[in-house]
Amino acid sequence: MTAMKFVGQSATRIDELAKVTGAAQFVDDLDFGPNLLYAEVVESPHAHALIKRIDASRAKKVPGVVRVVTGKDFPYTFGLYMQDRFIFARDRVRFVGEQVAAVVARDPVTARRAARLVKVTYEPLPHVLDLKEALGEDALLVHPDLKNYSHCPWFFPVADTNIAHWRKTRKGDVEQGFREADMVFEDTYTVPRYAHCAIEPHVIVGQYDLAGRLTLWSSSQSPYTQRHVFAEALAPLGLKHQDIRVITPFVGGGFGGKAGVSMEIIAAALALAVKGSPVKVRWTREQEFYNTYQRQGVIARIKMGVKKDGAITAIEHTLHWDAGAYVEYGANVVNAVGLSATGPYRVPNVKIDSVCVYTNLPPGGPYRGFGYSEFHFGLESHMNRVAKMIEMDPVEFRRRNAIREGDTLPYGAHMNPCGLVEAIDKAAAEIAWGKKEESTSPHKAIGKGFACFWKAPAMPPNAASAAFLKFNEDGSLNISVSGMEIGQGFLTVMAQIAAEVLTVPPGRIRVETPDTDRNAYEWQTVGSHVTWGCGNAVKAAAEEVRDKMLQVVHRVHGFAKEDLYFEDEHVKCRSKPDFALPFKDFVISGIQTPHGNFLGGPILGSGMFMPEFTSATGDPETSQGGHPNVHYTVGAAGIVLEVDRETGKMRVLKAVLAVDVGQAINPDLVRSQIVGGLVQGLATALYEDIRYSLEGKLLNPNFTDYKIPTALDIPDKIVPIIIEVAQPDGPFGARGVGEHTMIAAAALVANALEDAVGLRIKSLPLTAEKVALELRGIRYDDVKGSTMGLCFMGDPQQYAFFTKNSK
Amino acid sequence: MSIACEFDYRKPKTLSKAIRLLAKRGRQARVLAGGTDLVGWLRDALVAPDLLVDIKGFDDLKGIGVKNRALVIGALATFSDVLESDLVAEKLPLFREMAGMVASNGVRNRATLVGNICSAVPCCDAGPVLQVYNAVVHVRGPNGKRKIPIGQWFLGPRKTALRPGELATSVAVPFPGKKHAGCFVKLKRYRGEDLAQASVAVLILAGREYRLAFGAVAPIAVRGPRTEALLKGKALSPDLLEEAGRLAVEEVVPITDIRSTKEYRALMVEVMVRRGLKTAASRLAGKGPAYGINVMEEDAP
Amino acid sequence: MKKINLILNGESRTAAVAPHEVLLDVLREKLGVKSPKVGCERGDCGACTILLDGKPVCSCLILAVEVDGQEITTLEGVGRNGPTPLQQSFIRHNAFQCGFCAPGIVLAATALLEKNPQPSAHEAQEALSGNLCRCTGYEAIIESVVEAGREGGGKKKSRKGQ
Repeated sequence: MTAMKFVGQSATRIDELAKVTGAAQFVDDLDFGPNLLYAEVVESPHAHALIKRIDASRAKKVPGVVRVVTGKDFPYTFGLYMQDRFIFARDRVRFVGEQVAAVVARDPVTARRAARLVKVTYEPLPHVLDLKEALGEDALLVHPDLKNYSHCPWFFPVADTNIAHWRKTRKGDVEQGFREADMVFEDTYTVPRYAHCAIEPHVIVGQYDLAGRLTLWSSSQSPYTQRHVFAEALAPLGLKHQDIRVITPFVGGGFGGKAGVSMEIIAAALALAVKGSPVKVRWTREQEFYNTYQRQGVIARIKMGVKKDGAITAIEHTLHWDAGAYVEYGANVVNAVGLSATGPYRVPNVKIDSVCVYTNLPPGGPYRGFGYSEFHFGLESHMNRVAKMIEMDPVEFRRRNAIREGDTLPYGAHMNPCGLVEAIDKAAAEIAWGKKEESTSPHKAIGKGFACFWKAPAMPPNAASAAFLKFNEDGSLNISVSGMEIGQGFLTVMAQIAAEVLTVPPGRIRVETPDTDRNAYEWQTVGSHVTWGCGNAVKAAAEEVRDKMLQVVHRVHGFAKEDLYFEDEHVKCRSKPDFALPFKDFVISGIQTPHGNFLGGPILGSGMFMPEFTSATGDPETSQGGHPNVHYTVGAAGIVLEVDRETGKMRVLKAVLAVDVGQAINPDLVRSQIVGGLVQGLATALYEDIRYSLEGKLLNPNFTDYKIPTALDIPDKIVPIIIEVAQPDGPFGARGVGEHTMIAAAALVANALEDAVGLRIKSLPLTAEKVALELRGIRYDDVKGSTMGLCFMGDPQQYAFFTKNSK
Repeated sequence: MSIACEFDYRKPKTLSKAIRLLAKRGRQARVLAGGTDLVGWLRDALVAPDLLVDIKGFDDLKGIGVKNRALVIGALATFSDVLESDLVAEKLPLFREMAGMVASNGVRNRATLVGNICSAVPCCDAGPVLQVYNAVVHVRGPNGKRKIPIGQWFLGPRKTALRPGELATSVAVPFPGKKHAGCFVKLKRYRGEDLAQASVAVLILAGREYRLAFGAVAPIAVRGPRTEALLKGKALSPDLLEEAGRLAVEEVVPITDIRSTKEYRALMVEVMVRRGLKTAASRLAGKGPAYGINVMEEDAP
Repeated sequence: MKKINLILNGESRTAAVAPHEVLLDVLREKLGVKSPKVGCERGDCGACTILLDGKPVCSCLILAVEVDGQEITTLEGVGRNGPTPLQQSFIRHNAFQCGFCAPGIVLAATALLEKNPQPSAHEAQEALSGNLCRCTGYEAIIESVVEAGREGGGKKKSRKGQ
């Protein structure tokens, strides 16, 4: 391949000027005129209760109130993978904060005042917040009707239990593997819930016009998927896909929280209820925390067998997920982990049980990392501990077992090309692994941590991407796709891919944010797959455009097409060196022939991509037989951590992350992902900490008490390392890298902490408080008290009994 | 989320008119200065006054000056004013150290120090520093002026000695009259802005006089008289530091809440007292780190 | 309703507001400047940062009636004749990702450079620590501010030298 001019270059983001000038518009910035209505939602104060009566008569009388809507008005369910969620709670509320009714008014203050006048009579029911209770005999059922819910074919709910899905993966014979091992070690790791904390809260405006058109301006990662879910949910009212239009301007951060459909369904319903007027639903920061999605909590039991030479003989990994009141999206997180919980290692014998459990906590769902951050905390902690027990260097242990191209995956398919060993070596070298460092301070110690990671996009087997591309009179280009710019630089990367094919610089390419009426299809911007999937579609569209352009030149000038090539926005010809036709001279108006007429016309193209080799048809008992994942992105990371023994406070002196992206389309943006993802991941390890009361109420739905990093809370130094082992089916060899950068973070801190002060903590977060207490021999769990509210009530060791349930 | 309650807003031209308004409306009226607490409370419907009296028009409540051998911080002086004041830096740099740890720049540019002690939340940062300097709150009300020593100012969480109709006009911080140095230590969940999990203000005066005060480990900012007595007249040895730390824990009553367990608070008070004393002593000796570091985060000297 | 007068981005503007109306909402909904964003509405995130008489403040914690007679700058008032050197530095560094925090950060950094033309990295971190960004990890943002300061300072020096 000849050297590339645009791919592999750190181009300036094509949206950066709009962002630093404030020109970038987000949904809440759009004007809808004086007819805009505002909604305020009436929320459940109970974690579990029956709704006996809703009296809205007083609210309706408030001047300025237009409508009060309840579950009776929209008795429909919705859900991406399982239809278990309600537009408004109908007979029963299942978490504190669930929407029960909405007041639509002329202004937000009126809506808020009137919402307080809606009187809901509840009959409180016992609630189940704890996994052990949810799985116990005679457990209270969060969804008694589970068996009647429709869901995607690769989910396996267990009727009359709280198990919404159970992914089982079986490879080889684990018992045999443990027998072959020289050492078998088993322990339990706990990861609580976390919140996405995009700085832009969810907001959506819906308008249903008198001609039956439903338009939604939505802050979303998933415009097409939203349209589809809306069309499915509202089908009983006669709405069809063609009637629904979803427009997504810039999105102020997603991290998975704006994937699929959560609160947006409310605006779709309310728009129908107030036909003719636009209605805005904007979540407060509090609602953003408790009524969108949260990252699910998990208790993971890991049993690993190893030989003295370091070969892993077997892994048994049992994960019980606190998925919350509705699992329509979250169950797929559980599924994804159930297929991949070995981590990036060659393991001959595997038994994974990933169990999705309903509780009366807010709905779980997708969060950057999609379950992998959660299971890597336990697995990569365990890897260190096992290495220590067989007296092997933990980096060498990982290297010894690192997965390589062609290895058999837990579900039987084969591993894609990957540079894991290279990533391990480079990350280890960068933190001077093996070299002990001493703090200059008498009460501080320095430790090093290391961890590997992998992740595949979790997509239905037919998740597709498409692109349109058209030229303008000046030879500039418009690309129309429906991948979402959520900050990762998607628009710029798409421009660079088209630029590479067509030689038009990215600065002369506009890439639009989606409008489902106009832009080409995209399943969703999730799973770190759009550079790969949509990039392939854009590349195909650009190639179609190139072929059309060459065809026109060929028709007019008679040059052989194989002699023609593009250079600097000109068509040139190898057999006629002085021929140079600027694109702008013909891409709209065609080329004039000697007869005076013109051939050609506006050049436009389309492209699409669907991973035709995937399937979700694995056996329910073993997961063998399907090809559910397109590819894995792998990498390794290390940190140097300073720990204050007196205060427990930790400071990351250096963080290094090496990731195999196949081909960095824009290395600067890859580095941005590494820095941003690492900082987000380190925060989940060090201080982010979600708290519930024993009544299921979220106690810290704000940045006052749910701390996310400020500019002062970053590592002293971050070293991003880009590895490039090409992905054969990726655009120019690229594969995804959004989520991967935060996956290793928690285990990095846990491992470095042990290296520094000899403390092994098996539950997140590793707050300074927890560290300081444990260093003095005080177990945090013993003193945290009920006001600290955690989603798991008991001692993690007690949760081991679940392994008995998994056959 | 908008503010859903209705209230009237007045910005009187004279202080006496403001006092009259406050006196007339009693508990239904609220004083508005920086508003960084009040606007939040209005939004969360924690308070529902009928009237806000904006005092930002009164020039004599602005600024920081010296009067009667005391630093006078006007009711309208913001934490940024405190942080940037040359006078504060020269005379009472401990206030600068404390102000730099309050919230973030965007809030400090609005929030006032006097407002901070009027809100009187247990984690208020100004409280402990005012305590070690024996500051006096100047108050005006319908019955004239009165002075409230800081030790009698805080009555409980969000409760002060201010009576309905009264307005805190300034706080006066008497200069100790001899060489002194201090250290403000704030325990936070991370380096960025945070409400105090615990705070300790240490002041050492020439002649081995020690003063300590604590925030967020009792319902109000409190002094540590027993620890002060233990230390009085003594040079700080490692053993004495240990002993002072241990004794200080007995003088506070930390509770477990969303920000910390009481156990961690207690353990950290011990560490904070040690580090604070050591740093203040070092500063008094003309060494030590410049004011503006948090010894819970940065390396202790 | 009370009528307030203010200088918004250099222009004299008026608005009729009720006492309970928050400045952030009035700027966005009544005066049409949309760069200050609604992020947390309690002064924690800095997305609503504006310059009030030149100082960065959280407009979510101010009532609109309070600013009668004052001067307000939002991002709409910065770089009207093309991006400022600071904005150019942000662009060169691909400093922002989703961009929702950008208006607040650009304003906070603009105010910092006014006060302290050549800030250190730590000073930039401190000045921006009230502006939360969930995407970037701040590194490129801090570098952009420090570099803009360095280059701005360099320019001044060379001008003096000429």
